[in-house]
Amino acid sequence: MKLLKPSWVSHNGKPIFSVDIHPDGTKFATGGQGEDSGKVMIWNMAPVLREEDEKNENISKMLCQMDNHLACVNCVRWSNNGLYLASGGDDKLVMVWKRAAFIGPSTVFGSSSKLANVEQWRCVTILRNHTGDVMDVAWSPRDVWLASCSVDNTIVIWNARKFPEMITTLRGHTGLVKGLTWDPVGKYIASQADDHSLKVWRTVDWQMDANITKPFSECGGTTHVLRLSWSPDGQYLVSAHAMNNSGPTAQIVERDGWKTNMDFVGHRKAVTVVKFNPKIFKKKQKNGSSPKPSCPYCCCAVGSKDRSLSVWLTSLKRPLVVIHDLFDKSIMDISWTLTGLGMLVCSMDGTVAYLDFSLDELGDPLNEEEKNSIHQNIYGKSLAITSTEAQLSTTIIENPEILKYQQERQNSAQANSGPGAAAPESSAPKLNSVMNGESLEDIRKNLLKKQVETRTADGRRRITPLCIAQLDTGDFSPALFNSVPILPSGSSMSSQLTPQLSSDSSPGQASSMGLKPTHDPMLTSPPPNNTAKPMEDNNDGVKSSLLLTSASKIEPMKALDSRFTERSKATPVTVQKEAKTKEETSSDSEDKMAAINKNLTFGKRKPELLLDGREVLEKRKKGRPRKDKMAASMAQPFTQEPSRVVAPPAPVAVLKLPTPSTQKAFSLQVSMEPSVFLEVENEVSMVAGSKLSQLRCSRDGRDWNTLLPSSVVVAAGSSDILAVACEDRMLSVFSSCGRRLLPAIQLGTPASALHCSAHYVMVLTAGATLSVWDVQKQKALVKNESLLTVLSGADTTVSQSLLTQQGVPVIGLSNGKSYCFSSSLETWTLIADKSDSLVQCADFRSCLPSHDTPVSSGPLAVMQGRNLNAGRLASRLSSTPHHLQQSMTLAFLENQLASALTLQSAQEYRYWLLIYARFLVNEGSEYRLRELCKELLGPVHKSAATSWEPTTLGLRKRELLREVLPVIGENLRFQRLFTEYQDQLELLRNK
Amino acid sequence: MAKVQVLNVAVLDNPSPFGNPFQFEITFECMEDLAEDLEWKIIYVGSAESEEYDQILDSVLVGPVPAGRHMFVFQADAPNTGLIPESDAVGVTVVLITCTYRSQEFIRIGYYVNNEYTDPELRENPPIKPDYTQRNILASNPRVTRFHINWEGCTERMEDCENVDPSSNSMLPPSCLPGKAPPLGVLPDNSMDCL
Repeated sequence: MKLLKPSWVSHNGKPIFSVDIHPDGTKFATGGQGEDSGKVMIWNMAPVLREEDEKNENISKMLCQMDNHLACVNCVRWSNNGLYLASGGDDKLVMVWKRAAFIGPSTVFGSSSKLANVEQWRCVTILRNHTGDVMDVAWSPRDVWLASCSVDNTIVIWNARKFPEMITTLRGHTGLVKGLTWDPVGKYIASQADDHSLKVWRTVDWQMDANITKPFSECGGTTHVLRLSWSPDGQYLVSAHAMNNSGPTAQIVERDGWKTNMDFVGHRKAVTVVKFNPKIFKKKQKNGSSPKPSCPYCCCAVGSKDRSLSVWLTSLKRPLVVIHDLFDKSIMDISWTLTGLGMLVCSMDGTVAYLDFSLDELGDPLNEEEKNSIHQNIYGKSLAITSTEAQLSTTIIENPEILKYQQERQNSAQANSGPGAAAPESSAPKLNSVMNGESLEDIRKNLLKKQVETRTADGRRRITPLCIAQLDTGDFSPALFNSVPILPSGSSMSSQLTPQLSSDSSPGQASSMGLKPTHDPMLTSPPPNNTAKPMEDNNDGVKSSLLLTSASKIEPMKALDSRFTERSKATPVTVQKEAKTKEETSSDSEDKMAAINKNLTFGKRKPELLLDGREVLEKRKKGRPRKDKMAASMAQPFTQEPSRVVAPPAPVAVLKLPTPSTQKAFSLQVSMEPSVFLEVENEVSMVAGSKLSQLRCSRDGRDWNTLLPSSVVVAAGSSDILAVACEDRMLSVFSSCGRRLLPAIQLGTPASALHCSAHYVMVLTAGATLSVWDVQKQKALVKNESLLTVLSGADTTVSQSLLTQQGVPVIGLSNGKSYCFSSSLETWTLIADKSDSLVQCADFRSCLPSHDTPVSSGPLAVMQGRNLNAGRLASRLSSTPHHLQQSMTLAFLENQLASALTLQSAQEYRYWLLIYARFLVNEGSEYRLRELCKELLGPVHKSAATSWEPTTLGLRKRELLREVLPVIGENLRFQRLFTEYQDQLELLRNK
Repeated sequence: MAKVQVLNVAVLDNPSPFGNPFQFEITFECMEDLAEDLEWKIIYVGSAESEEYDQILDSVLVGPVPAGRHMFVFQADAPNTGLIPESDAVGVTVVLITCTYRSQEFIRIGYYVNNEYTDPELRENPPIKPDYTQRNILASNPRVTRFHINWEGCTERMEDCENVDPSSNSMLPPSCLPGKAPPLGVLPDNSMDCL
């Protein structure tokens, strides 16, 4: 064993609380106290390992230092893949660092030390949740989770794949939690706290599995940390500070039944840190001696407050080595190299020691394969599935196709991870690429001229800074997950309409949804105030000599020094000014919002109609508070001026839905391609005492018009047909050229909403019935179906209705539920529910196809709309147990699939099917995946008895399967499934 | 931790005649998109003895600031000589660049400035009106002080908001004109340091 104390590893004499060696063994991190903040430093490992490197001036020892923690750093830990460094400190924060690729060496601006940061590590995410000092952090196997524990008595599990998402908070400790360790197969996490307990938590449901208190009952809370450790074979958990017969020990806890029969004894003071060697060893074969089978064993280092370090082999009863007086103060942390032969130890005294062992001393380390086979023997293959990538990579790829998918995936992963991950040594500045070939120098020359400068409303200068580099935070960017813009509240659903759908909000609702005069003049900016630079003349105080002595030259220096560090006393003034600017910017943004709202509401469809309708409503409101009664009056045929007619007592039971009011004239755009406009002018001419209404249509510049005997209340159209409903409850349907297709249909009650789509007409009547006709076939698809089944509750009303291209009617209710009427099932089916907790909690973001834009135009998306996004956000906040979340997501996705199927929305069906398949692949549910594939493939051999349809919604099922298979191929575990169906598809294609 | 790190400040047009505008090319890096603008100020310390003679040469808003590395040139007019005590017109003083976010100062960069006559004859016999001096900013030795502030919005962290004294604004004497440096000791130190 060799021992080295590299004196250059120091935090200027301040305590070092944590040390961790990078998985690739080329560098290590230390964490501790800085000058007036916490400090994380990254060091080069080479000068520790080799003396010649230590002496070589060209090899930098310190690679990077980060002063960003506000208070002492208690723990630094590299992720298992080596890409990230997590640090936790007394500032209650956990920071996750990633190496920035595009920046070369640089000094910290203004820092007194001229030491350059050779590598740039950037904080990519800050995890805020703890209310007290963070004492320990730990990455789970495979870097799925990051756990942090704190003096706030809690442990927080973070989703390491979607920072800063929290998975859960583990509560149960009643004292400061000071140490964490993951089970190497990922089934448990263990924590040790000052409450005299060691707790083991299950990762499957995040509940406590064991609470071990006996060995700790005599312990006092005397140590700064309690870093416990799990053996690499997973069989033993060794605690920090425990007591046995009033002597300090490190308690060995057996995985089997959490028995506590053994301990490591010998330290004179409390054990602060235990760290298992990551390797499992077997006895070195002596030359000449016959190879006899020996049990593999583990190696464990124990550090204590008594300043000594002991190293144990589980095959020996006594420690392998004990080193006393290595440090002046307590040992704080230990880290092994991945090779298992080197170890770094740090101490409160601010120094670090490196220990180098030989194979003769420790034994022969098992290779990864042997270690995996031990894991598989103990835990079975099912747990091995949840363990390392390394295991999967040893799986033999049996199919060339799957090899292709794997390679493609790796390529894209490499492209994503950026140059920093691919080539960690490349530190060349890559700024040029960001700036279109213009060099930084060129930019700097003209920056003053080129930079954009504007004036704010109060006359202040505002400079738009020139962005010279993006941050390469990549996979942590929250924008990735919320890329669907969330519409400002108050914008109406109609903004999401596209030409292929015919829909609108029912007018009564529309006025309450998006048409409020949001542009409130009261909110606009106050009169610009004088920004007042302090340039007032100040002519007094002209005095004293101008003599310059050397003393006076130095004197102001001292006086001036304080000015560098004290905040300006002028701040209060600016605060006032700032407050005003703040106010202004906020009102600015409100105005903008309002403008956007207006655009959204009026922009796409029926602009005039909506505007007019609103005006009409407003006018009539005067002196007439009851709108629904007024609506009832519309039912009277030949009403000349509806506003003057005294409404008869409205038959409320019959008229459940509001009806639009009659207007003098309105127009609407029926379709964009070809562009069809519809103009309605009511009561144009008087013939023999009765008034006629004119319907004019212009289609691609060609006009036609027709006359109707009664005022038109609502009109709608598609590229194929046009339909109008009149005051006399007559519904007329015309072809796109103005030919009447059907004789007028008599409706039972006035029309509330009317839609056309393709050659379908849908009418929602005020009596809450729904009818859909297929004009081409002259058949009814839905016949006077009552909405009363779904209109439960007194206040529920229809807020939205639409007709899909396939003639499926959909209605959205004010209670957030959306139904569609399935004509094949002859029943109402629920397709969306905004209060559905499944929607809120489903988390399938990882399964979203990155390159595909989500289908936002399908009927399902329109009905679920914003709500779906809200669900995405909500799931980030909620801390549901993983298995529950998994089930909820599964249920949600299956709901979506079924809804898309009922709505006959083929594109959406395909979209959700792929997400569903990806989710099944990610979560490893082979059972459902197989059933899905089976359904898509159908019977390979034709038989009369089968009822299998080769298509669904016009999509060929086998084509869908062809799209699903690559997704399955991404997970090597399903390669058998992949091969099986790939082969059968090939077989069918050749037939 | 600070969302904005100043990476470099290059002093342009230095040394230069006293009447030339100050020019600083500021490079900074921002970790997350900022909801509000940064406010930068250049303060010229007229006299070491008293803050009374501080002149805010200019203040600009800089925004919008998305995550990334940015640069801009902050140019401000030279100080008003009339406001500088004649005894301090020649010699060493300080120019400060401060940046605030949500009205909280989080960085202060200070430079020593030496104003002197270039003409040896004037140096021997300084004139009464100290114009025509040359300004030399000691660019190689910036003094950087960073302050911890609350970067989050008030809604997110209520407990931090409580630290911000809401009455500090109302305690301003009504006679105090905006921009004029308030006399010492009258005002509470409006510290919003949220540690």
